[in-house]
Amino acid sequence: MLTQNATINLVELQQVPILKEGENLPGDFALWIFIFAEMLVFGVLFVAYAFTRANNVELFNASQLTLSRTSGAINTLVLITSSYFVVRGVAAIKLGLSKQCADWLMGAFLLGGVFISIKIVEFHAKFAADISMSTNAFYMFYLSLTFFHFMHVLMGMVILASIIVKARRGAYNAQHHTGVETGASFWHMVDFLWIILFPLIYIIR
Amino acid sequence: MKYKSQAVAKLYFIAAIGLFLGQILFGLIMGLQYVVGDFLFPAIPFNVARMVHTNLLIVWLLFGFMGASYFLIPEESETELFSPKLAIITFWVFLAAGAITVLGYLLVPYASLAKWTGNDLLNTMGREFLEQPLPTKVGIVLVALSWLFNITMTMLKGRKTAISLVLTLGMLGLAVFFLFSFYNPVNLVKDKFYWWWVVHLWVEGVWELILGAMLAFVLIKVTGVDREVVEKWLYVIITMTLVTGIIGTGHHYYWIGTPVYWQWWGSVFSALEPIPFFMMTVFAFNMVNKRRREHPNKAAVLWALGTSVMAFLGAGVWGFLHTLAPVNYYAHGTQLTAAHGHLAFYGAYALVVLTMISYAMPIIRGRAANPERAQIMEMWSFWLMTVSIFFITLFLTGAGIVQIWLQRISTTPMSFMAVQDQISIFYWAREAAGVVFLIGLLLYITSFFVKGESKAFE
Amino acid sequence: MQKLQSTRFSTLIWLILVALTIATFCIGEANLAGKSTMLTLLAIAMIKSQMVANYFMALRQTKVIWRMIMLAYFVIVGGLIALAYLMGLT
Ligand code: HEM
Ligand code: HEM
Ligand SMILES: [Fe+2]
Repeated sequence: MLTQNATINLVELQQVPILKEGENLPGDFALWIFIFAEMLVFGVLFVAYAFTRANNVELFNASQLTLSRTSGAINTLVLITSSYFVVRGVAAIKLGLSKQCADWLMGAFLLGGVFISIKIVEFHAKFAADISMSTNAFYMFYLSLTFFHFMHVLMGMVILASIIVKARRGAYNAQHHTGVETGASFWHMVDFLWIILFPLIYIIR
Repeated sequence: MKYKSQAVAKLYFIAAIGLFLGQILFGLIMGLQYVVGDFLFPAIPFNVARMVHTNLLIVWLLFGFMGASYFLIPEESETELFSPKLAIITFWVFLAAGAITVLGYLLVPYASLAKWTGNDLLNTMGREFLEQPLPTKVGIVLVALSWLFNITMTMLKGRKTAISLVLTLGMLGLAVFFLFSFYNPVNLVKDKFYWWWVVHLWVEGVWELILGAMLAFVLIKVTGVDREVVEKWLYVIITMTLVTGIIGTGHHYYWIGTPVYWQWWGSVFSALEPIPFFMMTVFAFNMVNKRRREHPNKAAVLWALGTSVMAFLGAGVWGFLHTLAPVNYYAHGTQLTAAHGHLAFYGAYALVVLTMISYAMPIIRGRAANPERAQIMEMWSFWLMTVSIFFITLFLTGAGIVQIWLQRISTTPMSFMAVQDQISIFYWAREAAGVVFLIGLLLYITSFFVKGESKAFE
Repeated sequence: MQKLQSTRFSTLIWLILVALTIATFCIGEANLAGKSTMLTLLAIAMIKSQMVANYFMALRQTKVIWRMIMLAYFVIVGGLIALAYLMGLT
């Protein structure tokens, strides 16, 4: 066991304990089943997009140019950074630092809010241009995939919020923090799905 | 029996079994009409028999769900039922309404029935599964509300467990989605769109919560496995159910005039619907393998395992078979659909009700389990009914495949009726399997009257 | 005593992810297309996802099977996407 002093020293050294090799998945196993199922849904949709495109290359290339690559890229950076904050939050709780944990997660939560806002602006622009899921196959996929992902960001934010509240109440400590890891795993999934989605729909042509 | 008021379940179970018998009789009548077109005509036309067959199915399942929850909720909540009297009144109201409605179907031309029951005021009749006259529909809502009220009040005054919570949530959903049966837009596309909110969101959404909760309850009782483990499974299963099932509704929106994106949404999400059913199977076998006690009611364990397997086959496998849009394009509305409908309804919902009856009825009658001989008979009836419905499914699947081929794929497509002549052999086989099913059901009913040395509580 | 991992390491991973994102964006802005561009972009995406899974989700410290499932996912999804794009070229 680390003593209080050692803990502080370690933080200064930016050192945190990690899991031993060969452990189980971080967080509640039940959530992992859910994560795998979600990956499956997105995976099928990604592949479906790609194969539908193969038959409509021109249409997809033309429609793709109407997307805002800049907001897509900014949102990627936002999510990556929020994921990094979540990593720091988990690291903090492993040292029993509830407040720091809550603060890092709060940062991630706010970045989630930034993502959502940028996305809403993007959706608004498309709807204002009278584009809908029925416009063509590209927009069907673009809107479905990004909207579905959008809902996952919202859900992740709800999860983060509840963890933040609990962390502030001191519900987690260095030994017991499965809840934090569970929420973190979900948030990272939301992140890496976007990491694939962004180049696939916004850039690759 | 731990709580006196659990006994009201018995009434409901008896009614359920009686109506089940009625359902099967009408199934057999229709099965024969499929090959002997004017059988019982004009006394019982096919469309009337079909209505009676399917409505009796829904009604006996509802009786089963209600009875089962009046047994389950007091036990989970560790308190007497809020109002056994209300449960009994509700029972008689529901039974009377059901009986009058079925008599109405059989004795009065449907159009006259519609006129007499105020269908002009609020047009809700004439749609598959939702054929009930307006007063019956209102009655169903009142019955559901009374049921919901009773068990919610019971739960509130006692222990709140994951199982009772999920069950109540499922029943709340059942009541809420039934409200869409009152909405019947003139636009046919919209009509169909919301019709599925009752039909699909029932069987592939909220009813699955009821199924999961009841299965979990019986498994805890017969295996003695830790509640905590069971609850975790239950939560994951229902989450998966709702995530896949709600958007999975899209598998009915391929060809009814709804936007094309439903072909993607429906295909992708409904393709994942088998996952929660599969998890239920794994869960059930896991629990039984890890059991901490040998429950004297062997039959109940068999029904529970049977439910998990048959639900996966009927809903998961046969559902998946025709759920992808490119496949459904050919399979839509053929005998394949009927094959799936039969195995899924039987495997998931008929069986879970029979599981609950099998577990609860001996206890209500004052013993832990039925005499050995009665149990053996009950297990025989399980195998007879299960194997015969499986054969019904196989025959209809065969009929469906030939039908799809001759009518929709072949370069010289045949007309619907010409194809029906070609596949009558499958319908004869289906009818024969149906007779075996009836024998199984009669054996099941007989098993309740077998006397012998009954098993006491441990 | 548990093994220690530097949060500096996480920070480094984060910086690499940022750099790769910017690279992806620049390729997009340069309007590059074609087989090698497509493969490069896909490879970058898969490497990034893999990094998030391994280092952020900390799968690197779990049983091998979980890492393999993740890796298989990225390989299969990435491979099928690449295949579809190659089909679109001809
Ligand atoms: C216990 C659960 C289920 C029950 C009781 C059930 C029952 C039914 C019934 C009765 C129908 C026919 C509806 C009509 O009259 O048109 C139907 C249709 C259908 N079911 Fe299920 N089902 C279940 C689960 C599933 C699952 C999990 C899937 C997919 C994996 C599925 C896929 C379908 C499809 C695609 C149709 C439409 C067939 C057509 O186009 O004709 N079902 N189901
Ligand atoms: C045992 C003998 C049975 C026979 C001979 C039989 C026969 C039939 C027939 C002929 C239909 C009408 C199909 C059509 O419209 O073309 C039907 C519909 C239906 N039956 Fe049965 N049935 C039997 C048992 C059952 C059982 C045990 C269940 C469920 C537990 C069931 C559930 C249904 C359902 C849900 C439908 C509507 C299917 C759809 O819309 O596709 N039946 N049955
Ligand atoms: Fe459905």
